[in-house]
Amino acid sequence: MRLQRHELHTLTGSYALDAVQGEELAEFERHLSHCPSCPAEVRGLRETAARLALATAERPPAAMRGRVLALAERTRQLPPLTDERPARRGTSRQARRTRRVWILRLSVAVAALSVAGAVLFGVGQSNTQDQLNSIRSQLASAEAHNHAIAAVLAASDARLVSSPTSQGGTVNAVVSPREGKLVVLTSGLPALPASKVYQLWLLGPSVARPSGLLSQQHNGRTEPVVAAGLVAGYKLGVTVEPAGGSLKPTTTPIVVMPLAA
Amino acid sequence: MRQPRPGSGPQEGRDQGLEGLLARVARGDHAAFETVYDDLSAPVFGLIKKVLRDPAQSEEVAQEVLLEVWRMASRFDAGKGGAVSWVMTIAHRRAVDRVRSEISAAQREQKAAPDPVSGPDDVAEAVEASLEGQRVRRCLDGLTEVQRESVKLAYYGGYSYPRVAKLLGVALGTVKTRIRDGLIRMRDCMEVSW
Repeated sequence: MRLQRHELHTLTGSYALDAVQGEELAEFERHLSHCPSCPAEVRGLRETAARLALATAERPPAAMRGRVLALAERTRQLPPLTDERPARRGTSRQARRTRRVWILRLSVAVAALSVAGAVLFGVGQSNTQDQLNSIRSQLASAEAHNHAIAAVLAASDARLVSSPTSQGGTVNAVVSPREGKLVVLTSGLPALPASKVYQLWLLGPSVARPSGLLSQQHNGRTEPVVAAGLVAGYKLGVTVEPAGGSLKPTTTPIVVMPLAA
Repeated sequence: MRQPRPGSGPQEGRDQGLEGLLARVARGDHAAFETVYDDLSAPVFGLIKKVLRDPAQSEEVAQEVLLEVWRMASRFDAGKGGAVSWVMTIAHRRAVDRVRSEISAAQREQKAAPDPVSGPDDVAEAVEASLEGQRVRRCLDGLTEVQRESVKLAYYGGYSYPRVAKLLGVALGTVKTRIRDGLIRMRDCMEVSW
């Protein structure tokens, strides 16, 4: 149903308060792009709305400050726009917004997992920040480079489980039962000669499914690896195998960790 | 650097400083971002909580919004509006997106159906807290009842204008014009300079 021009114009107020939705929003935004007086009016009304916002100021929990600043430390900024039109108009605003929300949710989810990780490690107060930062930077590079990893991290049911290995170091896994996947990160595993490699296994009651090889360590950490095909009740195992990996574990696992809640 | 110009309202002063800060944030200046955080985290959190009501969810969304400010600082264009309203627009949209997403909307409606006559009127306490707030309060008092309730339900309640019409039991067209008239009156009352 098409609205008349003058009817559209009275939407400036509702638009400034984000009270217009769906098809009507798209239609109004089209109108806005060739209505000479509208942008100025919308701008003034948005400024007015911002005053309404200032009236509700309430100090957020103190812990939020550190979290936001830490997230900013490792969140890439957008470059300035060279051509503003595509990003400001049109019906895809919703899509762009959804994408932005997704990216931010991910960052927040990663931070939450990092906190959970620190708790699970039981690290002392003085080490907490280092631990957080190290997991964050591990996860941050994961987020930037790999969609599959990002999808697991962003899953609403993602949880972090950690376990020390019998040889030292820690294996961390971010597990999403719903996605049937997990992301494995490690830190401080003993270095291996080039002829050997750490191999991941998903361990069921009667199977050991090869689930990826860990890269050579860099700064004591391995690159995140995604393992798929997780079934409820399966555990994660890590063994030392000949370079290139094996079809079945040939050594005793250095860790076997349950992945369920 | 962040002193208000003589004769300007508190927001103009705030904006003037914030615009410079946002420009620095856009260049990756973390210290500037800290100051932006200290200036705006309370309005951002307060507004989001006003709309969402649930403190934990509000904290999560506020965190997203402030990070968005960091990420998007280069897109802020002082020629198109003030820094405060740029940030508060992001905050409000994000809160509204969240509250209209299926689950939380249903929960919210169950938890606290708004009273159409008084509206979400705990605005009062928060408002008393600041000079800006007192001004807002005074200007809100200058609106007709339907204007005031429409504006409050749409902005603080995060309701779409058709929802507002239903809640107030008035026609769609009426709500549209009342919201616009009400906001224009607020704008003039608060001497918004845009």
